[in-house]
Amino acid sequence: MAKSFVVIGLGRFGSSIARALAEKGFEVMVIDSDENEVREFAELVTHSFVLDATDERALKDIGVADIDVAIVSVGQNIDTSILITLILKELGVKQVIVKAVNDRHGKILQRIGADKVIYPEREVATRLAESFFSTKIFDYIELSPIHSIIEIAAPKQFIGKTLKQIGLREKYNVTVIAIKRKIPILTEKGTPDFKEEVIIGPGADDEISEGDILTILGKYEDLEKIERL
Amino acid sequence: MPKKPITTQDYIELGQFYLLNQKYSEAIKQFKSALRLQPDAKVYFQLGLAYEATNQIPQAQEVYRKALQLDPQLKEAAEHLERISK
Repeated sequence: MAKSFVVIGLGRFGSSIARALAEKGFEVMVIDSDENEVREFAELVTHSFVLDATDERALKDIGVADIDVAIVSVGQNIDTSILITLILKELGVKQVIVKAVNDRHGKILQRIGADKVIYPEREVATRLAESFFSTKIFDYIELSPIHSIIEIAAPKQFIGKTLKQIGLREKYNVTVIAIKRKIPILTEKGTPDFKEEVIIGPGADDEISEGDILTILGKYEDLEKIERL
Repeated sequence: MPKKPITTQDYIELGQFYLLNQKYSEAIKQFKSALRLQPDAKVYFQLGLAYEATNQIPQAQEVYRKALQLDPQLKEAAEHLERISK
């Protein structure tokens, strides 16, 4: 039998998970204290409720105990997410997955019995790191939970344009800190080869050539956009 | 006057011209045409350069290996293959 899910908290993360699960055909229940958020899901999911998820009796009444997987994503409110996790475990929900906002929050959630703790911002970072093994990304450095530096082959759309024309800063919100370029040469033997040139801190008028490797600093989500180009 | 047939050497020279002018996609086409007429280690190596320049690493590795199969002494192919396989 297909698994059933309850998503508690319809912020950006919760709502995208609920939508994805519903689209895959799973039985999905959504809960949020904000009526407007819930209304949006009324037609998409199997059940939707406006209620305070820290109310144990209310959760019991709507049958949360019989659901296979609960996903708790109540934003920055750490106390609430801990309390809801505790109630769900006590009600006997088989698998409770909780979004944590930081390490300490994650540790507490694990202590009180959360089956899986996820750090969505970090998951994005991991995905990006995984794509390091793709042919496009050559290197990856995590600078902070939000920012990183990637080395990526210049996307086709950038070739022949200056940094200013591409509008990397304005359109993509990232900064190119270096361009690695292969310059073709003729060796003493008369056969072609190339040497590598690195332009550090390229200017707005520097043009991107075919084969350039760009070192870019930015937020994960912005870097992901570049990677998808 | 009858047209002179295009020789392997013509394709190679044209490929080198495009390679040196950073027109890598064109260079790839010319080197491939040359190789269709006559497989040659040096031409495989130059095709590898064009692939490497455009960050097509698996393709570059493949043709550097072919170059080395035909001429195990081709030092530059071995060097490039080692560098991109790190």
